[in-house]
Amino acid sequence: MKDWAFGLTMTILGMGVTFITLYLLTLLIRLLIKLFPRKEDEEGEG
Amino acid sequence: MDVLISALSSLVQGFASLTWQSAIMVLLGCLLLYLGIARKFEPLLLVPIGFGVILGNLPLAGLSAYDKGGIINLLYNSGILTELFPCLLFLGLGAMIDFGPMLGNPRVLIFGAAGQFGIFLTLFLALQLGFVRQEAVSIAIIGACDGPTAIYVTTKYARELLPAVSIAAYSYMSLVPIIQPPIMRALTTKKERAILMELGEKKVSQRVKILFPLVTGIVTILIAPMGAPLMGMLMLGNFMRESGVLERLVNVSESTLTNIVTLFLGLCIGASMLGGNFLRWQTILVFILGLIAIALDTVTGVLLGKLMRVITKGKINPLLGAAGTSAFPMSARVVQKEGQKANPRSFLLFHAVGANAGGQIGSVMAAAVMLAIMSGMGIAPLP
Repeated sequence: MKDWAFGLTMTILGMGVTFITLYLLTLLIRLLIKLFPRKEDEEGEG
Repeated sequence: MDVLISALSSLVQGFASLTWQSAIMVLLGCLLLYLGIARKFEPLLLVPIGFGVILGNLPLAGLSAYDKGGIINLLYNSGILTELFPCLLFLGLGAMIDFGPMLGNPRVLIFGAAGQFGIFLTLFLALQLGFVRQEAVSIAIIGACDGPTAIYVTTKYARELLPAVSIAAYSYMSLVPIIQPPIMRALTTKKERAILMELGEKKVSQRVKILFPLVTGIVTILIAPMGAPLMGMLMLGNFMRESGVLERLVNVSESTLTNIVTLFLGLCIGASMLGGNFLRWQTILVFILGLIAIALDTVTGVLLGKLMRVITKGKINPLLGAAGTSAFPMSARVVQKEGQKANPRSFLLFHAVGANAGGQIGSVMAAAVMLAIMSGMGIAPLP
């Protein structure tokens, strides 16, 4: 594999997977927040 | 008389064995000490590194990282070659980091991805400049703006570059307040920088804070198992912090353990910087490329910030994109400062800290994916 092809593969896969993973984490966080909403008795804390 | 001459000659052997490369490296070590102590550039790292450089380059002392049986060699073999030290540092970092601001505004996590683009652009550049793939990847990872990650990747693939890459990574992290602002100002208008974002931190429940590191660790390690040691330690540290029942372990992780590992890591890196392998044109190129990587991270982050501003119809300040690097919390503070310069009423810190935390995760993911691809292509480490 030529160097430019190697670099392109790394960039597309590297950035692609990183973006997808962080986007997936965004969705998971939103799901967690929906499943476990902050309760009123936590309002006074930290 | 012969005995006297032999005895005297053994006392001057050190001076006689001093080469010009060793002398320059000793001076370089002194420079690092000056930068750390007088200029306060990352003193926790530059001082042990600087002293390690001096000790490692004094001839016949047996204190370089490669002198078999020496005390620094012992630390180097057990902490650097095994990748133990970077992983322990991540444990401490996880115990220190508060993902709360990011959890309260999850969309800023995406900046953590954009902030890694400079790594891959620099990879192209390094390949064009004649570095082999293993070296190019190790140099490009400086753009992760994260010392332990850079050490982790470089130890795996291009150990000879470890001193240069480590020094570059840690030095540039401390120079983020100098590197980023001109780029941020060049890519944004004053009106954009002055955008006010929602004030106040949106708090999430403690359950979410506890589950986040567990879920993130599982998901990211399943996606990129090669990043497991770093991501696993980061999430373990954070899980301990948020659990609220492991105060003693958290205290040790974020202070004593981190301090001990920082000391040994710095000493080993310094003692591995020998004149023969450090004083080359290649080293200067590593430093230049490292700087380019971090600059490009800022460029791509801010450009994504501008796009997000358009998509959200002006709700997101594009400066946030610059916080998507792993230089935690320096980048967040830089964003806050630049935002307030443009608009004294602006308070971007919580959002910026969220993006910065996303950058921490993003940098480990980018490194893990690179390692996975290298492994999948059958690219072996350099001897």
